[in-house]
Amino acid sequence: MAGGPKALPSTGPHSLRDMPHPLAGSSSEEAVGGDSTPSPDLLMARSFGDKDLILPNGGTPAGTSSPASSSSLLNRLQLDDDIDGETRDLFVIVDDPKKHVCTMETYITYRITTKSTRVEFDLPEYSVRRRYQDFDWLRSKLEESQPTHLIPPLPEKFVVKGVVDRFSEEFVETRRKALDKFLKRITDHPVLSFNEHFNVFLTAKDLNAYKKQGIALLTRMGESVKHVTGGYKLRTRPLEFAAIGDYLDTFALKLGTIDRIAQRIIKEEIEYLVELREYGPVYSTWSALEGELAEPLEGVSACIGNCSTALEELTDDMTEDFLPVLREYILYSDSMKSVLKKRDQVQAEYEAKLEAVALRKEDRPKVPADVEKCQDRMECFNADLKADMERWQNNKRQDFRQLLMGMADKNIQYYEKCLMAWESIIPLLQEKQEAK
Amino acid sequence: MEQAPRDPERQLQPAPLEPLGCPDAGLGAAVGKEAAGAGEEDSGVDTMTHNNFWLKKIEISVSEAEKRTGRNAMNMQETYTAYLIETRSVEHTDGQSVLTDSLWRRYSEFELLRNYLLVYYPHIVVPPLPEKRAEFVWHKLSADNMDPDFVERRRIGLENFLLRIASHPILCRDKIFYLFLTQEGNWKETVNETGFQLKADSRLKALNATFRVKNPDKRFTDLKHYSDELQSVISHLLRVRARVADRLYGVYKVHGNYGRVEWSAIEKEMGDGLQSAGHHMDVYASSIDDILEDEEHYADQLKEYLFYAEALRAVCRKHELMQYDLEMAAQDLASKKQQCEELATGTVRTFSLKGMTTKLFGQETPEQREARIKVLEEQINEGEQQLKSKNLEGREFVKNAWADIERFKEQKNRDLKEALISYAVMQISMCKKGIQVWTNAKECFSKM
Repeated sequence: MAGGPKALPSTGPHSLRDMPHPLAGSSSEEAVGGDSTPSPDLLMARSFGDKDLILPNGGTPAGTSSPASSSSLLNRLQLDDDIDGETRDLFVIVDDPKKHVCTMETYITYRITTKSTRVEFDLPEYSVRRRYQDFDWLRSKLEESQPTHLIPPLPEKFVVKGVVDRFSEEFVETRRKALDKFLKRITDHPVLSFNEHFNVFLTAKDLNAYKKQGIALLTRMGESVKHVTGGYKLRTRPLEFAAIGDYLDTFALKLGTIDRIAQRIIKEEIEYLVELREYGPVYSTWSALEGELAEPLEGVSACIGNCSTALEELTDDMTEDFLPVLREYILYSDSMKSVLKKRDQVQAEYEAKLEAVALRKEDRPKVPADVEKCQDRMECFNADLKADMERWQNNKRQDFRQLLMGMADKNIQYYEKCLMAWESIIPLLQEKQEAK
Repeated sequence: MEQAPRDPERQLQPAPLEPLGCPDAGLGAAVGKEAAGAGEEDSGVDTMTHNNFWLKKIEISVSEAEKRTGRNAMNMQETYTAYLIETRSVEHTDGQSVLTDSLWRRYSEFELLRNYLLVYYPHIVVPPLPEKRAEFVWHKLSADNMDPDFVERRRIGLENFLLRIASHPILCRDKIFYLFLTQEGNWKETVNETGFQLKADSRLKALNATFRVKNPDKRFTDLKHYSDELQSVISHLLRVRARVADRLYGVYKVHGNYGRVEWSAIEKEMGDGLQSAGHHMDVYASSIDDILEDEEHYADQLKEYLFYAEALRAVCRKHELMQYDLEMAAQDLASKKQQCEELATGTVRTFSLKGMTTKLFGQETPEQREARIKVLEEQINEGEQQLKSKNLEGREFVKNAWADIERFKEQKNRDLKEALISYAVMQISMCKKGIQVWTNAKECFSKM
């Protein structure tokens, strides 16, 4: 099937309208979250017919669904979802920041370039400009419409620490990288990457107009979760989710420690740099007093200068590349914990309703529809969350491996630069000079 | 190599003994020639030692330091450190060394030796002592004189001081120096018997006084200026270096905090990689102690020349003092001559009290005038002789001092170049260690 992600072995492509949604109706075969074979009819792709997009408030056509809410389906797709050029059919890049000066405000936009062979995209390539608040909008929309999934974090909105220039090259570049990461994470997600809002974000010429329309494109799950009443209290979190919660707490704590240590190191390095910048020139001053020693001393001065520059590059890199990624992951863990809480609410409601039913003897033989709905909702949520968690763990490991190797590299490069500087002056120092 | 100057002041010192024999510092042969010359002048030369000089080299070491308690001049208990000085003579033929002398000295005795040398060799740039109190310390170093690291570095500094003297073509021949190495008891009394203390006081006063010299030797003025600048720049360098060391220490130590974060409990896959990388960070953090200890040696080398600059300055000041003396003497002579002339011819060109009183109270008698002229003529004669000898003295001083200054310059350039090279080597080693540690850490991360 050209352009689409690998289709499951199926009897052939079906249009969305023909596919029964796992959550719709009471069809028993569409049990979700269990070991039962999923309906082969569930496809990742769904067609974006124009009419399908614009949904009247509250109404959700039967065909539109949050596809692949079956956990085993997701698992299978994840196995195939290797990040290599072969299987990928959606590429997004954030680059080319530009400053816009208007009467009311000054802001930066970033160019978003999208290349895709997916059916959902009318053109093979798109190029649009977006600003931070557009990303922010996208993220809230994703949270709203895909509440059972882990939405990647955005770089911090406001810069609290110190007086950071919002328009400095370093700040803009750091932000650009984070925004690029944000979109790439969504792109890599088998469910989120098909989100309608995401598509519009990537393609629409006038995003503001779309925003104004206040389109509530909620997936069935989104709609469903939205109506979960928050009044119920969960008695016990199931073990596996409790474990996830504990893990996230501990992980965030440890990351916080690492963040603090890294900040401290950078601070110490900067103070060391300040002293070095005074130290080097003193050799120059001395050199001016001397005859035979003038060149050697000047050489040492220049050498220290080179080391200072190398150190500055190291601290800049750590500040721009290392710290932001750590913070990103802390934000990620925080947002994941909120999703866990939402899941708890869904389970709480289900259990409460189930209990209420158990008390009312009349409906014993048959489980009322709304309780069943709750159960499905809960099981869907659990499945999505577990799948996302696994994907997150995997990506986290890759991200950290890359991050830490990068950090080690930067340090190695710093020492290599210094080594070169000092080795190069040894011959100068050893030179026998003609008597002046 | 110049002869020992016939400085009239030197006549006060005990006749220079036969040469001690100097440690092989490339000056052995030259000193030998000097020794021959000196040997001829001296009386009562111990021929055996004289003959033996040609065959032997001397090794001097300050090998140990020991804490002692005793009673000071005010009968109060005090703690001080004593240093063991061992002298060995080395047989040329088989290179074996035999311990010939061994005694204990404390820092104040070294000071006494140096002050003596300063007084009796004013034209020599006398090697400096290691600092009395720890200066330019950064936070990890102790400013305590009893601190073992300080004591150790001082021991090395004192040994260096003795070696410098022993390798100096002139100083090595000094008897008091020889006795310092060989006569434990009574040495202090011997030094004081030379009466140098009195001269030291007057000299010190003179050196610190401000006076204007009309015609100093420009070379010495420039050199004094240089020594001032050198002192200033090396002080600055040492201060900043200490701060740099402090900061660098902080950077390395903070990395050790990474190792303290426990990951294996929550991370199944990343745990091992993170934990072992943390171990490398610990290695990194602890490596700084040795690195900075080595760097202190570099700081000590700089300090020696900081103090040497002071010695250089002292020689320049001595020249100024002599020149001033000379100028004052010449001025005095000139005014006396003028007075004499006026008395003889009866013309008063300059104001004098005598002239005034003469005017007020009447002329003096011809006899009185004759008497005064005679006195003046005597004084003038004396003055002229003194001026001649002062001139000679001054020229000798300039010649000999400049020779030693040239020697010193060569030594300084050699030594400081060596110091810079060893500093660069230290930095290179530090960089290589850094690369190693981070490469190891990177490997741990790659296995995550």
